[in-house]
Amino acid sequence: MSRAWKSSPATVRDAASTVSAVQQALPFLEPTPLVKPQSLAPAPVQRLWFCLWLPGLPLEASRSSDDATAVVEEQQGIHRVLLADAKAEAAGVMVGQSANAALALLPTLQLEERSLLREQQVLEALATWLERFSSFVCIADRDVLLLEIAGSLRLFGGIRPLREKISTGLRQHGFDASLAIAPTPLGATWLARAGRRVCIRDEQNLKRALRDLPLSSLNWPKGLRGSLTGMGVTSLGDCLRLPREGFVRRFGAEHMLELDRALGHLPDPRNSWRAPERFCADYEMTEEQSDRELLLNICCELLLSHEKFLLARQLGTQRLSFSFFHLKGSATELRLGCARADRSAERWLELLRIRFDQLVLPEPVIAVRLRSGMTQALQAETARLSFHAASDRPARRYSITQLAERLIARIGDQSVHSMTMVAEHRPHYAWRAQSLLSDWASSTLSEVRRHLRRPLWMLPEPALLSADSGYPLHQGSRLRLLHGPERLETGWWDEDGISRDYYTAVNPAGIRLWIFRNRSRTPSWYLHGYFG
Amino acid sequence: MSSGYAELHALSNFTFLRGASHPEELVRTAAKLGYEALAITDECSMSGVVRAHSAAKEFGLRKLIIGSEFRLQSGRKLVALAKNRNGYAALCQLISNARRAAEKGRYALTRTAFEGGLPDCLVLWVPDQEFTLDVEDHWVRETFRDRLWIAVELLADGRQQEQLAKLREEGRRLKLPLVACGDVHMHHRTRRILQDAVTAIRHATTVDNAGFLLHPNGERHLRPIEVLERIYPPELLAETVRIAAAIDFSLDELRYEYPDELIPAGETPATHLRKLTEEGMQGRWPGGVPQKVTRLVEHELALIADLEYESYFLTVYDIVAFARSQSILCQGRGSAANSAVCFCLGITEVDPGRMEMLVERFISKERNEPPDIDVDFEHERREEVIQYIYAKYGRERAALAATVITYRPRSALRDVGKVLGLSELQISRLSRSMQWWDGQKVDDSRILEAGLDPDSPVMRRLLYLVRELIGFPRHLSQHVGGFVISNAPLYELVPIENAAMPDRTVIQWEKNDLEELGLLKVDVLGLGMLTAIRRSFDLLRDFSGSEYTLANVPAEDPRVYDMICDGDTMGVFQIESRAQMAMLPRLKPRCYYDLVIEVAIIRPGPIQGDMVHPYLRRRNGEEAVDYPSDDVKGVLQRTLGVPIFQEQVMQLAVVAAGFTPGEADQLRRAMAAWKRRGGLDRFEDKLISGMRERGYEETFARQIFRQIEGFGEYGFPESHSASFALLVYVSCWLKCHTPAAFTCALLNSQPMGFYSASQLVQDVQRHGVIVHPVNINESDWDCSLEASDEGAATLRLGLRMVKGLSEEAGQRIVAKRRLGSYEQAQQLLERVGLDQHQLGVLASSGALQPLSGDRYKARWDVSGVEKPLPLFPSMDRYEATPLLKKPTEGQTIVADYQSTGLSLERHPMCLLRRHLDRYEYASAQQLPGIGNARKVNVAGLVITKQRPGTASGVTFVTLEDETGQINLVLWKQVAEQYRAALLNARLLGVSGELQIEGKVIHVIANRLFDHTNMLGDLSIRSRDFR
Repeated sequence: MSRAWKSSPATVRDAASTVSAVQQALPFLEPTPLVKPQSLAPAPVQRLWFCLWLPGLPLEASRSSDDATAVVEEQQGIHRVLLADAKAEAAGVMVGQSANAALALLPTLQLEERSLLREQQVLEALATWLERFSSFVCIADRDVLLLEIAGSLRLFGGIRPLREKISTGLRQHGFDASLAIAPTPLGATWLARAGRRVCIRDEQNLKRALRDLPLSSLNWPKGLRGSLTGMGVTSLGDCLRLPREGFVRRFGAEHMLELDRALGHLPDPRNSWRAPERFCADYEMTEEQSDRELLLNICCELLLSHEKFLLARQLGTQRLSFSFFHLKGSATELRLGCARADRSAERWLELLRIRFDQLVLPEPVIAVRLRSGMTQALQAETARLSFHAASDRPARRYSITQLAERLIARIGDQSVHSMTMVAEHRPHYAWRAQSLLSDWASSTLSEVRRHLRRPLWMLPEPALLSADSGYPLHQGSRLRLLHGPERLETGWWDEDGISRDYYTAVNPAGIRLWIFRNRSRTPSWYLHGYFG
Repeated sequence: MSSGYAELHALSNFTFLRGASHPEELVRTAAKLGYEALAITDECSMSGVVRAHSAAKEFGLRKLIIGSEFRLQSGRKLVALAKNRNGYAALCQLISNARRAAEKGRYALTRTAFEGGLPDCLVLWVPDQEFTLDVEDHWVRETFRDRLWIAVELLADGRQQEQLAKLREEGRRLKLPLVACGDVHMHHRTRRILQDAVTAIRHATTVDNAGFLLHPNGERHLRPIEVLERIYPPELLAETVRIAAAIDFSLDELRYEYPDELIPAGETPATHLRKLTEEGMQGRWPGGVPQKVTRLVEHELALIADLEYESYFLTVYDIVAFARSQSILCQGRGSAANSAVCFCLGITEVDPGRMEMLVERFISKERNEPPDIDVDFEHERREEVIQYIYAKYGRERAALAATVITYRPRSALRDVGKVLGLSELQISRLSRSMQWWDGQKVDDSRILEAGLDPDSPVMRRLLYLVRELIGFPRHLSQHVGGFVISNAPLYELVPIENAAMPDRTVIQWEKNDLEELGLLKVDVLGLGMLTAIRRSFDLLRDFSGSEYTLANVPAEDPRVYDMICDGDTMGVFQIESRAQMAMLPRLKPRCYYDLVIEVAIIRPGPIQGDMVHPYLRRRNGEEAVDYPSDDVKGVLQRTLGVPIFQEQVMQLAVVAAGFTPGEADQLRRAMAAWKRRGGLDRFEDKLISGMRERGYEETFARQIFRQIEGFGEYGFPESHSASFALLVYVSCWLKCHTPAAFTCALLNSQPMGFYSASQLVQDVQRHGVIVHPVNINESDWDCSLEASDEGAATLRLGLRMVKGLSEEAGQRIVAKRRLGSYEQAQQLLERVGLDQHQLGVLASSGALQPLSGDRYKARWDVSGVEKPLPLFPSMDRYEATPLLKKPTEGQTIVADYQSTGLSLERHPMCLLRRHLDRYEYASAQQLPGIGNARKVNVAGLVITKQRPGTASGVTFVTLEDETGQINLVLWKQVAEQYRAALLNARLLGVSGELQIEGKVIHVIANRLFDHTNMLGDLSIRSRDFR
């Protein structure tokens, strides 16, 4: 049987090239002697894979309370239960039920919409945590994590303590995982998926263990599984008993090769997962310093290595922060923001200079730390707008973003806004301030109604006007109504609905005012703005 | 001086999701405000005008003007008003053209559509936001000349003065008069909230994001005249009255004419109808017409002539004659269908001699309602009939009536919830609570249960808006089969638009509108049972040479009634439901009229009115039959003093409560609509006080009223029941005498009826018919009859039972089999050209048994077949034999169910019995011997679950084991306690108490056990009915 597995020359060639791929993919593992193409097995260094399968991840990633909870997912317009916790299941809530049916069973059921993003985040957080147990962690699937543990066994005192540590940690974090250990990553994954809590260290035992697995733990496409089930092929062992050539002809070589990889007949290179990188560097001084020029130079040095770090990774950042540590333990923080992701030390230094002048350092500084914010892939530079348009002087040209940044750096994030027109009938909602740093590029101007008569200067709050037999008074004299009424009755959907008649009025001094009268049982007049 | 005012530009809620008031509300308010006239000008639509027309009469509006608003593709907005009948026709034609040029629900209009100049219509030109008219002014002025006004709509947007000045200047420039208009969207200012909401629904946004899509204020309502006088210059108001006075048109002028091509030259409708009737009479009674029949026919013909309904009968006759020529089975029903004339014409097969029928019971002179004939056709061939009608009369003269789809609590909640920004899940939760919606209020505790605060402002807004929106029209759909056929083009009567289905057109009015204006329609409906009956007849003709028709199936066969009395009616028409089956052994129908009653009595109406038990008691002689008066006796005698039919209730209103026939007819219509629109209360007082005055007891009166309410939309008239009863009898006769053919026909007509193919097959097997499995070399596409060695009919399942196999592929397999039986899977690929998917489903069904053996082997074989290479047509390939297991019996059963929904192997319960032994479950067969009121445990597959609205919280569940069916009754409390098991279990164990009443056996469940895990992959879906 096993001879038949290796008879195809194509397979051997494939294997040879993949072996070198493994070498490249895993450069930081201790170098293993190159395997000669002729003899695939046994591999001189035994790898050992620890698999964590997290069947309850959608639930664990999104539950918000201790109440009975189910995660639902929309399928063809109907929300169906994807996963239910023990309490919900006890009440009869089942996978595949419609949300309505589940609620019929348990009206207090908490329904959460599935979030793949949240699951991914949780999985990444778990991967980060697992990095303490192995230098090679890999996110193998949406709900599967793999660790290569051969190298870690000595450090943790063997498999048993290691597994104990990991499973205790998972329990403490509230995760329900199925764990399995096997010499091949696929073997470990399938065993974990089948819920076999085993530790297999050699290939002979692996084959025996895999043979019993139901096909459902293989994560093969539904159609393929259906075909095989239709032939009475329900376990991996059934599959292996089929004529190899006949299998490949019917279902393609891909799945056969997968079986080969699981059994260790073919190598199975994996990519290690890496946490998104941030820059963090400290500059420690031998003695406390208060010389600001010196401190600025240190910052500059940190910014240069920051730039180098990001350059190597083709990343940029929108925010970074400096911490100036004082001997007594406290630190003074300085945060910088930038409208577009950037890495240029020069640019950041420019922004830093502006803020550094205002920075108050209560005590001398013993160390400086620079941390970058979330990094992101760098966008291409946009063309710069000429700020001083009609000028042939060689004026400094700023992009509007640079101007905004410089302004923010000078007077602070909270003080610089852009204005957005909002399509709203209510005057006090018709424009909105927007932080420049948030999404400068995406802010769009909505439809402007030019014909509307609106004053340029609006009062923050309408001011009550006294009235004389129904006519409004302003500074003691009667107002003359010029235009109106413009009737606004709207906004009933929030707590700020209005029902007003607006008029343009003029006072004896010739100043034009924007006033309104409430359309209530006891109408009164208000001043809402001045026309320029 | 009050100048008076006529509103010339008003949209009702038939301008879907723009207008925020019902036409009735607009009319009523305009009348109350003393308007000279109100124009209903829905956007490119006439859908709301009939309602407005009736309301105008009811509320005494001085004048109703019919018009329509149009937005041209250039953006220009015009309002056209029909000046007279001609103008109305022109308007309808314009709307028809615009609607038919666009997809359903939209319209497309360019200026070319106005080339005819829209004769006899007055046109208002609505300026845009900048008050400019100039873009197309030349064209507009040239087209409408002296029938054109500039609409001045002052809506407090702050620029009234500028607007007026600008438009006056334009008027001078273009030499056009100005007129005041209101751009009315609602009858009262308070509707602006709903108007905002529907606007947001229309734009699929939320109200707080809708921004300038919303109107800034609520001025677009019917404003009191004194308010208008402060806003508009008097001459603009006076102009509205002048325009209104120039208009002289009312929908009452519409006259309907029957198509005249059906009457041969030299004949009148009356002579022609008489001729056809007499011919038919000879055919029905070849041995001589009984005198009684001749007298009846004469009497009916006189009545028909009196009401001038000849053409209607001729129209229906023509359609039925076409169906007959194509061998399409059909059967008429409805008020006029059970006449001797219709029997002679072949519209119905119900022999008037078979029951004491008086045509006056159905058509009455006094009631002045149009005759109503619905014709049921085989559901699979109805389309042929419809296309015949279109072909014969043309799309201009024949169209389907519309059905106005209105907001129901659930849909209203969904849409309002969305525009208020609720999430999908919140809305889902709430719509569950809607089950407790009583039209006014949702129980607070239900809202709390949904995790929302009933007192929160959002909730209050939501409930307010939902309440307002319920009953609002949402879109037009097509009526199931109501055809309007006219002599002149229909677009002169009413606009026609495209339906969602290709090749269908609908008019913009619905059934009630047609009745209101006295237009006649013919209902062309589809009925699955007719298909099954025709197929049975065909099978019998081919198998044994016997020619059956609806008319010659032997009547009043006692063996058929024996079977019916046993409740052995699975698969037959109408009386096959669980409730019907339980009623049959108690009601013991022994004649045709008993079936008429049986069909009508198990309905929400009689059940809700508590008519069933009194009738049973009286029929069994347990209660005296008495009548409060002779008048009532006349009406109720045939149903033993218990009102069961809709007609009886109406007649009671006349004889016992003093209604005029016209009022009784209004009551009938109100009955059909009250669930949606209300309006029954005004009849309540009149009915009860009327009956009290005539000396009837209040309890009797209340009972009658309760039944009227119960009839609601399910009211079942005797005239329909009488026709259905014939199909009940025929289907029972077929089941009784030719079970193999009947079941075969049912299987070929699926999906229909209450029962799955599996249950039908088990039932026929229990009746001694042998059933053969699907077989690639034996089966046709349809199920078929095969003669056994003794010549008895056996049933062969057809390829159609194989899930996932297309009919086209199945037919090809049968066709290519003429070249010889199939011997290898490869032939199915080469000869038939089946693809992998089709081969796979065939293999899984077990149909390839003759080629490969069991389905596992078949699956392996078919997955290995490959398209032959061109140069090596059929190269035999050596392949290693796979080591495949043999399917176990259990696996075979599971695969059978998965592939064909039924299994001819043992029942799954046979295999599970020994696992279930410790529960001591009795089988269905053992139950009769156990004895009434004994404790019993039963188990079986869950095949139906039903919670009828009429049975106060009781759930009915039917289980199936290897010996038959077991009927469970679950009281509300048990259903609540075990709701997980009830909802999820496919294999259910029950501990309960036996209730045996004659042949009716129920198990009253006390405890439920979910044994579903024992079933493994067995896929059985229960049919759930609410």
